[in-house]
Amino acid sequence: MAFSTATIAPDQKTREAYFTATQGQLIWARFRRNRAAMVAAGVLLTLVLMGLAAPFLVPHDPTSAGRNPDYLNGAPQIPRFCDHNGCSWRPFLYTLERTRSIQTNFRWITSVNTEKRRYVQFFVQGWKYELFGLDIDMPDERFDLRIHGITMNTHLFGVDTGGIHIFGTDSAGKDIFLRTLHAIWTSLSAGTIGVLIAFVLALVIGGISGYVGGRIDGALQMLTDAIRTVPAIPLFMALAAMVPHEWSAERRFIFIATILGLISWPTLARRVRTHLLTERHQEYVVAAQLCGATGGHVIRRHLLPSFTSYIIVDLVISFPYMVLAETALSFMGLGLKDPVNSLGVMLQNVTNADVLLNYQWYFIPVIFFVVMVLAFVFVGDGLRDAADPYSDHR
Amino acid sequence: MAAPLLSVRDLTVRFRTDEGMITAVDGISFDIAAGEVLGLVGESGSGKSVTAKALMRLNPGNTDYAAESRIVLHTEGSDVDVLALKRARDLMVVRGGAVSMIFQEPMASFAPAITIGDQMVEQLLLHTGLTKRQARAHAVEMLGRVGIPDPNRRIDQYAFEFSGRMRQRAMIAMALSTGPKLLIADEPTTALDVTIQAQVLDLMLGLVAEMGMAILFITHDLGVIAQTADRVAVMYLGRIAETGAVRQVIRHAAHPYTRGLLNALPNIDDPAAPLVPVPGDIPSPLERPAGCVFHTRCAQAIAGLCDVQVPAPVAIAPGHAAACFALAPAPAPVERPA
Amino acid sequence: MSVAPGGEHPIHVAIRDLSVHYPLGRPLFGKPPMVRAVDGVSLDIPRAAFFGLVGESGSGKTTLGRAILRAAPVTAGHVTYRDAEVEYDVASLGKVALRDFRRRAQLIFQDPYAALSPRMTVRDIIAEPLEVMKLTASREETDARVRKMAARCRLNLEHLRRFPHAFSGGQRQRISIARALVARPRFVVADESVAALDVSIQADILNLLKSLRDELRLTILFISHDLSVVAHVCDMVAVMYLGAIVEAAPAHMLFAQPRHPYTSALFSAIPSLDPDRRGQAQRLIGEIPSAANVPPGCRFNTRCPFAQDRCRVEVPAWREVAPGHHAACHFSDELQPLLYARAPGAAPG
Repeated sequence: MAFSTATIAPDQKTREAYFTATQGQLIWARFRRNRAAMVAAGVLLTLVLMGLAAPFLVPHDPTSAGRNPDYLNGAPQIPRFCDHNGCSWRPFLYTLERTRSIQTNFRWITSVNTEKRRYVQFFVQGWKYELFGLDIDMPDERFDLRIHGITMNTHLFGVDTGGIHIFGTDSAGKDIFLRTLHAIWTSLSAGTIGVLIAFVLALVIGGISGYVGGRIDGALQMLTDAIRTVPAIPLFMALAAMVPHEWSAERRFIFIATILGLISWPTLARRVRTHLLTERHQEYVVAAQLCGATGGHVIRRHLLPSFTSYIIVDLVISFPYMVLAETALSFMGLGLKDPVNSLGVMLQNVTNADVLLNYQWYFIPVIFFVVMVLAFVFVGDGLRDAADPYSDHR
Repeated sequence: MAAPLLSVRDLTVRFRTDEGMITAVDGISFDIAAGEVLGLVGESGSGKSVTAKALMRLNPGNTDYAAESRIVLHTEGSDVDVLALKRARDLMVVRGGAVSMIFQEPMASFAPAITIGDQMVEQLLLHTGLTKRQARAHAVEMLGRVGIPDPNRRIDQYAFEFSGRMRQRAMIAMALSTGPKLLIADEPTTALDVTIQAQVLDLMLGLVAEMGMAILFITHDLGVIAQTADRVAVMYLGRIAETGAVRQVIRHAAHPYTRGLLNALPNIDDPAAPLVPVPGDIPSPLERPAGCVFHTRCAQAIAGLCDVQVPAPVAIAPGHAAACFALAPAPAPVERPA
Repeated sequence: MSVAPGGEHPIHVAIRDLSVHYPLGRPLFGKPPMVRAVDGVSLDIPRAAFFGLVGESGSGKTTLGRAILRAAPVTAGHVTYRDAEVEYDVASLGKVALRDFRRRAQLIFQDPYAALSPRMTVRDIIAEPLEVMKLTASREETDARVRKMAARCRLNLEHLRRFPHAFSGGQRQRISIARALVARPRFVVADESVAALDVSIQADILNLLKSLRDELRLTILFISHDLSVVAHVCDMVAVMYLGAIVEAAPAHMLFAQPRHPYTSALFSAIPSLDPDRRGQAQRLIGEIPSAANVPPGCRFNTRCPFAQDRCRVEVPAWREVAPGHHAACHFSDELQPLLYARAPGAAPG
């Protein structure tokens, strides 16, 4: 039955648009109407952009040079507009002074001087960085990847003296906001690489399994199940022990991401196979075969488009699992390590009572991650609901 | 004249969906007398299934019944306003008590993990005052009456152990075991082979004559209606186009839709007659035409009238009415805004 | 497989002893039971006929239709396709010849909602056979042929850009028909092509099929469970039961005088539109047996109201009981006055 999902009042133009909409357009139209999913998608996009533009957003150098030795384990510094001295249209921070105090046996104490203001400035000049550049150091020199990005040295905000740490600092003086942004980016990258590897493997293995069927299907399914039963944590422990110490942080990162992908392809492969098994027997496939269509034609024109949307949904939904897996591993020390930033790495430091009692701002990144994982889940759910635009075609 | 068993007045059923309010049934009214077989005929989108489910309040949660809709069940002593019932306990009288339903797909009416006997006994315990043992005996008797061989053994089997034909019969047995006054049959034979259909229809009519109950027979097959029903109501896109005695409607169809349907129907007794399709397509429920819902496909549509005003039923003969402006001597007064 | 030049042979498709048997499951030991979906069918489909193949569920009619097109595996027997240019033994065609055969014989599916790929535009759907079989030289030629066929099937040409979800069941079936006919086949199998449609639309599609048959000189094998429809459109009818043909005749002869008890039972089971004609001359007992467990002798004996001992033992021969009219029943002549006819003027019982 012909009906319009775009509007309630049948407007001829929108109806025609609906009639001639491709699958992608239909999915997008349905996705758009899901408010939660759109909000989540916006949040996700924001987080990705923040991760990408991390050096621009934060005035501190991510390397050790950017640490603030005067402000170890410092509380978050939120700029204010007004205080007892009056209001200013520019946000400002108080100055921190370190003095030796008699009460604490001449140890350093940081005190806040509420008279001296440091104004926050926008678009300050700072250290140089490269945006959108790529520098991947592979185990073999020949595979190194280096793409030059845009070199800039402007930062969104900064102060003239001292540092500004809106999420506080950790025990080494590194700004937590900066580390959070990097962590988001690292986790997303590891997740992406893992998902890509899983996807390629799943497509090939699941595809052959589902399309060919028969004994090959049986054999491949046995392989899939075998890999599925490999317990992840002992595997990672073994791998973590195996990784040579001289590997750089980035190499380790690629390695961990690859392993994540290799562990998770079985689930995806099974989904691909299921989709193919159903689609293979659809009447329109039979119709194409009755015209003498070759297998390649059937795959290209009928089967692949039919489950592309489902696969995309599966990919998006498996993303947060990758991120969480990487976080858990790094937290346990089996994944990434310092100085690479990831949530798991950052959480490694929170397990002592000192932090729990005194430096609660260490947990701020957790909020970011919860938001990110939830955003993925909402987007994935929204996509899954939108992904079958033909389910109510009667 | 005795009060009808069931009277439906101005029933309007709408569904709240993502696409807006879909009107499935729009202001229909009909009566079912005790012991009578009323056929409800319509094609897809006519709203016949929704009507049936409304009688038992089985429509999904996003259903909206209009305020002026009334479904009144006249049981001995009391009148039950079906749409006003709120509690599940009160609804029991229409769900399996005085009103029972059989479906197109018999597999769907049996829970797969419980034996047939358990389900029938459960139904009897809910609706009648029988003890468990009495209920079981009654269930066995019903299974025997519908022609299931060896009912004592069969009653402890599961639904999948029954063949298709027997499942249909078991479903009829279960529906009739509580002695309902009204049986709603929602396309019960559509999925069956014609030889099995004949058996099931014979069975249903025999039992109905025995038990004196009324049937609301919903189908798209006018042939089945011609053979089984006393009266027929033809529905199109949520409105009743024509009502009347079966002989009247089939032999002297008045509404253009009914006539079109009869002309388009292949009649095995007259194979040489040409099949004349009804022009156009059935509009989707989201795009119900204004005024008379059939006017977009009607050769006799009067511009300015049929596309603006909703026709009221016009009496053609006693008990036979059709809602069409072409039949009325003058345009009917507007009863509700178009 | 040889190319036989010459005039048009009167028989377009000749089927001899065709069997399609499937194994049911794969037990650990021994042979699995075989489902005898089509069991020794012999049939001649004349050129330009609108040939009806009727049966209930489990009769094997869909399997037979697909086996003729080699869309189902043939276990035994021959299907010979003959037209002015070629003569093929369909079951043993090689790859190249099979492709040529596919150009000449096509299938119209039952379910208009499942038979069209939802992700292709209507134009692409109709053009697919042309593109796959490489029947056109250029995109313009493809487009021209698609438009011509769409117009013949009374599709609005502006709608060719749309996707299937924009269309109703009847329109989709027309697209299906257009796709089946765009490669100009000579033989078409219509597998329950109107079963899923509303009555008012059915008539439209049936009229379309009739006019296409006349215009394009097609031979149509019309598979259906609905005898009323078959009575209106077909000129020859064959009745199938449990994998075998029990009766075949020109339509007017079949409806005027059936010669097999099953046909008669089918006729009597169809509810008449005349409320006063409540005849139920024959009601069958029981239901159709499983095709894995075909009764011995005449396969209809378990339900036949006239079954005798001979029927349970001896398989009835397929013989000509009247000119052009064949049936497989031991007692066809004796039962003739008892069998239920449906044409006007024929008295029931």
